[in-house]
Amino acid sequence: MALLGRIWNTAKSMFVGHSITLREMFTTPITVFYPEEKPPMERGSRSVPVLKVNEGTGLLNCVSCGLCERSCPPSCIKIEQALDAKGDRQSWPEAFELNLSHCMVCNLCVEACPFDALEMADVVELCSYQVQDLIFDKQQLAEIWKTSRSLRVANGERL
Amino acid sequence: MSDSGRPVRVEAGPALAPHLPTSNDAGVVPTIGPDGERKLMTINLGPQHPSTHGVLRLIVTVDGEQIVHVVPDIGYLHRNFEKIVERWSYPGIVPFSDRNDYIAAITNEVAVALAIEKLAGIEVPPRAVHLRVLFSELQRILSHILFYGTYGLDLGAFTPFLYAFREREWGYTLMEKATGARMLYAYNRVGGLRNDVSDEWLADLAKFLDFVEHKAMPEYMGLLIDNEIFRERTIGVGKLTQEQAIAWGAAGPVLRATGIPWDLRKNAPYLCYDQFEFDVPVGTNGDVYDSTMVRMREILESVRIIRQVLKTLPNGPVLAKVRPTLSPAAGDYYSRVEGPRGEVGVFLISDGTTKPYRLKWRAPTFCHLQLTPLMAAGGKIADLIAVVGSYDVIMGECDR
Repeated sequence: MALLGRIWNTAKSMFVGHSITLREMFTTPITVFYPEEKPPMERGSRSVPVLKVNEGTGLLNCVSCGLCERSCPPSCIKIEQALDAKGDRQSWPEAFELNLSHCMVCNLCVEACPFDALEMADVVELCSYQVQDLIFDKQQLAEIWKTSRSLRVANGERL
Repeated sequence: MSDSGRPVRVEAGPALAPHLPTSNDAGVVPTIGPDGERKLMTINLGPQHPSTHGVLRLIVTVDGEQIVHVVPDIGYLHRNFEKIVERWSYPGIVPFSDRNDYIAAITNEVAVALAIEKLAGIEVPPRAVHLRVLFSELQRILSHILFYGTYGLDLGAFTPFLYAFREREWGYTLMEKATGARMLYAYNRVGGLRNDVSDEWLADLAKFLDFVEHKAMPEYMGLLIDNEIFRERTIGVGKLTQEQAIAWGAAGPVLRATGIPWDLRKNAPYLCYDQFEFDVPVGTNGDVYDSTMVRMREILESVRIIRQVLKTLPNGPVLAKVRPTLSPAAGDYYSRVEGPRGEVGVFLISDGTTKPYRLKWRAPTFCHLQLTPLMAAGGKIADLIAVVGSYDVIMGECDR
């Protein structure tokens, strides 16, 4: 009797399972063929903190106050303040380095910035075979910001 | 800091001689004796085996195909979490704790944030408390859905995995819309949440919940859980008694499968779980089928909790005003939350400076792995996979 019950259960579960998978035959596929077909990123996705450029002047918003450097938990941001010929401190960064291999994309630097100089980009294809290539200087960070911005405009997002 | 003479925090000192487990630890004997008689054999399962969910090495002593003893070898994913945070300021610990249990990252963030807020005396706004409950439960649903898919893979059923990832993709897109990331969210802050969620997002979430409850769950049950092959593979495998489960520190679905209704959301309410109605599903036999069923029923209970949160969600800010340099009063606090796998605990000692003196992480996977010899001995090797898979092993939080 127990054997008959097991045979019945087996037949029933085969029928139930196959009827569920058969239904999928009549639905549209949900697969996305990634490298050929790129789904747009969700609004507000974070991939790397980048430096914003003032559109009017073409200069960085950053005044090198160092608040993001101090707020960064894994210390992946390094800022060097610019000095003029007399050695007085200027309000722009001489160097701004971001080590993406240490960055954990936590957004704490963006929240710490009082001058709206940092933003989270949503460019994800930043892989590299060399760890050294993941250390970005200020020109590269501004370039990534421009790419991210143009992608967002193409995506129909109002800035 | 230590009255008993035993240091709670390890300072730099002479390096301990590393004890690398060898096959001798499991009592190795040559495979076949000189006169051809059968002897015990020791084999390695992992660390690069797909059924071990990450990098877990199991040193298995077998007699034929029957398991005599199992020694789990952990530590391949060690990240030095507890020592690193001793030189970090408090706000950075919350996003870093995501890396422990990377399948349910919000749970870790909530556990750490609760401990820091308690020590620093920060009031969290009510909307943030409700949203933390909402996100914890959404994480529990997504984590259990992933468990369902991978447990089917462990037992040789590939199709349920594809169905599980259909919902998981939807759920992770929802998380990305709200938090900006798919797995490591960095969403909680000391004092609340990073950003608020929109009303459209809440409407999307309600659709997702309807889909999970009315479409996905019946399919899950029909494809795998009620399937006769699955029942034959799991019923009676890895049996655990209530005394054993308590003695070895089991928590979560593994403990509830034995019939003990212990759930921190009910027994020691944190956040605002005491305002919501839900049941604690329990099993009867303590085998791996029961712990699977407990998880499946917990998905429906989580759906129920989120629906109540959506009804009672108050308006207001989501982040309290917190000083950027945070230095909580000296003292210690143990905060514990019910993660998808069991009790996630954070023991935090502050000495009044801007950095924690010591942080101890209690990971449920670490406690459950010690049960492996108990639950798997006497069974077949295929049952060992069923037992290890039933803990929903996340090596990131075990090795931390």
